Amino acid sequence: MARRASRVSTGDEDVELNMTPMLDVVFILLIFFIVTSVFIKEPGVDVFRPDAQTEERLNPSMLIAVTSENEIWVNRRVYEMSQMRGVIEQLLQENPKGRAAIQGDREADIGIILDVQELLMELGVEVHISTLET
Amino acid sequence: MRRRQKHQDDQAEVNMTPMLDIVFILLIFFIVTATFLSEEGLDMRPPPDSNTPPDANAPPPIVVQVDDENQIFVNQVRTDVDRVLSAVNRFRSEAPNSAVLLEVRDEADHGIIVQIWDEMGANGVPISIQRSRGEAQ
Repeated sequence: MARRASRVSTGDEDVELNMTPMLDVVFILLIFFIVTSVFIKEPGVDVFRPDAQTEERLNPSMLIAVTSENEIWVNRRVYEMSQMRGVIEQLLQENPKGRAAIQGDREADIGIILDVQELLMELGVEVHISTLET
Repeated sequence: MRRRQKHQDDQAEVNMTPMLDIVFILLIFFIVTATFLSEEGLDMRPPPDSNTPPDANAPPPIVVQVDDENQIFVNQVRTDVDRVLSAVNRFRSEAPNSAVLLEVRDEADHGIIVQIWDEMGANGVPISIQRSRGEAQ
């Protein structure tokens, strides 16, 4: 009788899992993903960016793409140059310290890219020209 | 005595399953939305305007012009995109420390400008960009 009781008890202990270490790991993963996640709005077009050797790593929060047809894409929409000021101001409200990267196609007109760059500089945004990642 | 101890054990144990469910859902959400964005780029901003007059002793800049048909002129001499650096270096051997002023027409291709900028940057040639007002020669 005594032996039987002890057997039941060990069976119970087997079923019960100690979840604490797993919970620790899951929490660490969760915190890692929260910290590293950047909610960035992708332009939504693929541009063929020029390659460069002197490039530096960027951490932009604003991406503006200029395609070979000289369309300006922000957050999966095409905008006219005249609308860009409003668009950038709206993005700046969400992230006032945001930095921008212009993804210009190799065949895009430099004039459009310089226009966007000048506008961003006028609004006090740090802006870089995005190049192909190597 | 025995029964009491058992009862206390039961109370101390918190059921973690619902919290674990929530934490897992959050974890999956953040994994799915995480975009490991890695961007590389160049700083092509022109230098800020200054009121101080340019140094009179500084050598005149080497003007690299790119017109709307992507033709490149280094100090008015037509050059190929791959030979810009050698042309600039030839001028710089005569007047060391001279900077390069990139004068571009609005219709020039972005890729060519970035290529020239990058070549100059990689070789330590100071460079600045400016829109060309007049007609490229």
